[in-house]
Amino acid sequence: MGAVSLPKSDGTAVKLVPSESIVDAVKEIATTHPHLVGITAVHADSNIELLYSFDNFRGELRHLRVILPDKQPSIDSISGILLGAYIYEMEVRDMFGVNFNGHPLPNTRLLLPDSYPAGAPPPLLKTVTMDQLMKLLDSVQELQPPSPAIPITGSSRYSAESVVILPFGPYHPALKEPEHFALALEGEKIVEARPRIGYVHRGIEKLAENRTFLQALFLVERVCGICSFHHSWTYTLAAEKLLGITPGARAEYLRTLVAELERIHSHSLWIGLLGYWAGFDSMFMWLWSARERIMKLLEMIAGNRVNKSYITIGGVRADVSDEKLKIVQREIEEFKKEFKKISEAVMSYEPLWERTKNIGSFTAELAISAGAVGPTLRGAGIPYDIRKIEPYGAYPDLSFEVITEKGGDVLSISAVRVKETFESIRIIEQIVEKIPSGNPVPQTFFMGTSKEGEAFARTEPPRGELYYYLRGKVGLRNPYRVKIRTPTLPNLVLAAEALKGYTLADVPLILTMIDPCFSCEDRAIVYVKGMGPLMVKLPRSVPANLSLGCPI
Amino acid sequence: MEESNSIKLIRKSPWLFHFNSGGCNGCDIEVVAALTPKYDVERLGAVLTASPKHADILVITGPVTRQTAGSLKMIYEQMADPKIAIAIGTCACSGGVFRGGYNVLGGAEKVIKNVICIPGCPPNPRQIFAALKKLYENKLEEEKDDGGSKLTKE
Repeated sequence: MGAVSLPKSDGTAVKLVPSESIVDAVKEIATTHPHLVGITAVHADSNIELLYSFDNFRGELRHLRVILPDKQPSIDSISGILLGAYIYEMEVRDMFGVNFNGHPLPNTRLLLPDSYPAGAPPPLLKTVTMDQLMKLLDSVQELQPPSPAIPITGSSRYSAESVVILPFGPYHPALKEPEHFALALEGEKIVEARPRIGYVHRGIEKLAENRTFLQALFLVERVCGICSFHHSWTYTLAAEKLLGITPGARAEYLRTLVAELERIHSHSLWIGLLGYWAGFDSMFMWLWSARERIMKLLEMIAGNRVNKSYITIGGVRADVSDEKLKIVQREIEEFKKEFKKISEAVMSYEPLWERTKNIGSFTAELAISAGAVGPTLRGAGIPYDIRKIEPYGAYPDLSFEVITEKGGDVLSISAVRVKETFESIRIIEQIVEKIPSGNPVPQTFFMGTSKEGEAFARTEPPRGELYYYLRGKVGLRNPYRVKIRTPTLPNLVLAAEALKGYTLADVPLILTMIDPCFSCEDRAIVYVKGMGPLMVKLPRSVPANLSLGCPI
Repeated sequence: MEESNSIKLIRKSPWLFHFNSGGCNGCDIEVVAALTPKYDVERLGAVLTASPKHADILVITGPVTRQTAGSLKMIYEQMADPKIAIAIGTCACSGGVFRGGYNVLGGAEKVIKNVICIPGCPPNPRQIFAALKKLYENKLEEEKDDGGSKLTKE
């Protein structure tokens, strides 16, 4: 089949590349477009199509498309050019069975559970049905706890006396979500860190392909409970682009209002947790108590505090009255005063500075290579904000600054988040002033069928760029393919690099730095088995065959 | 030990161990919100503990995935009697919106028995507080007889 070009309105260029010259093509494109947005795979017509998307930090996207046969697909790895690519390639390998030659972690899994049989067909192939998968996995499911995946200290396998492999998680007091990290320690110092994800993998991409466009909206909203509105918004943007639906101006403003309230709640939640991990409990309690004001507003507007289900294809599900907008205005003023007081108090508190300055330091080059996004990237001085470079919703009409800080450590990222909260307050003040009249609620909810084509959308959730890709087939009630690239995935690549050289006591702070949301990245991800050496060299004293990770 | 007896034995200061079995973070942040000033379950003596061996109540959030099922069973077995498991949110109760996914087993009942369910997506911290208060006041089973309550013991 020929390549399907992306809708022209995206203003994007897609280049068809033969599979053997992918490395050269990426080398060329990476000189001008160094940010790898993601690798999207689609199984269609006995082919696996790979779409590599690149950005130049100005929103001028370029795509490379490679078409592989679905029988033993194989292509060269590009992780030698862009570090962050290795995690995307592992995802594609797990979900589609594509083999990446020269990948730093060969024969390893990223996303599927321990019990997933080695020879079984990958779950996202169209030839594999959900029933088959359930039958297969039920037959191998056992309730034994996973065997210790990481070799423990004292094992005779390691002659190096100074290196200790410490398993960190999956259920660790310093992690609010189940994820596993293998830390190689030399004394207190971390020399190597490997994340192992997939505990929260729910197979959302496969589920979404089996539900209608409207049902999938409620599903993708639950990819992540903290940036839930951004997930449903990005999905809606992609679906509207695919189906050719335009929402009204008032709906765009209301969407932006809820999104910015969500950003404030997420950022204040994060700053509170920073205090918690730094041992500053009052800070945690102050911020979470101030945050309740925002949660009350969200409950008033959408009827629920966390998973708001406020957006729908073509508009929003309920209008907000003028009285309620006045309450928003009043409460946001109160919140601003409260937040100003708290943030001035905590950000001028010297012990907090000392605890966070130069912790988890990384350079802008490393952040770009890892593909980092959001406040993590802006903390290293790169003004990459989708709201500015690819405006959506009501953002073109609103004035706000893209906050950047120099430094690239826990402190600078905290400063970015504090300042962004003030910018969000400014945006909400403008929305209340400027919101146009009209009916934001569509006449009927979308129950129709799909058009042929593909569309993608990007937004800027609190954690950074979120990317959705949708493929439609004529006459289908459900999307043919939904691809989600969440911000934590590339940020985690960066965090694992940033851990190196710091002490074990810094781990909670450095992991918190990127505001990890594992439920996001696990929606389609499995689990790393037998991780081999990555782009890092272990100290000489470690035997060459040392591999951090599951020896299975 | 009979489950109904064990509920009566937990009188004051129930300590919680939070277990995310595959949730979206929504229930998790509402559990944390219940600990912070506005709701403040610490008024009932409830605090989060870092070890299941110190905990009286296992708080489960999210659908049980194939990868976490083993850990859930292990952690529940590590808790000392008398112990209670509470499933917070529809996913932990039944699998919720993710039911039918290839990597999702279903609710916490699939792995451990006698789970108290608080449905909601996510339940409001007020509901979480109310549930703990009922445990604290030992009124759980009276509620069950009402029939209309959202808090049920199965």
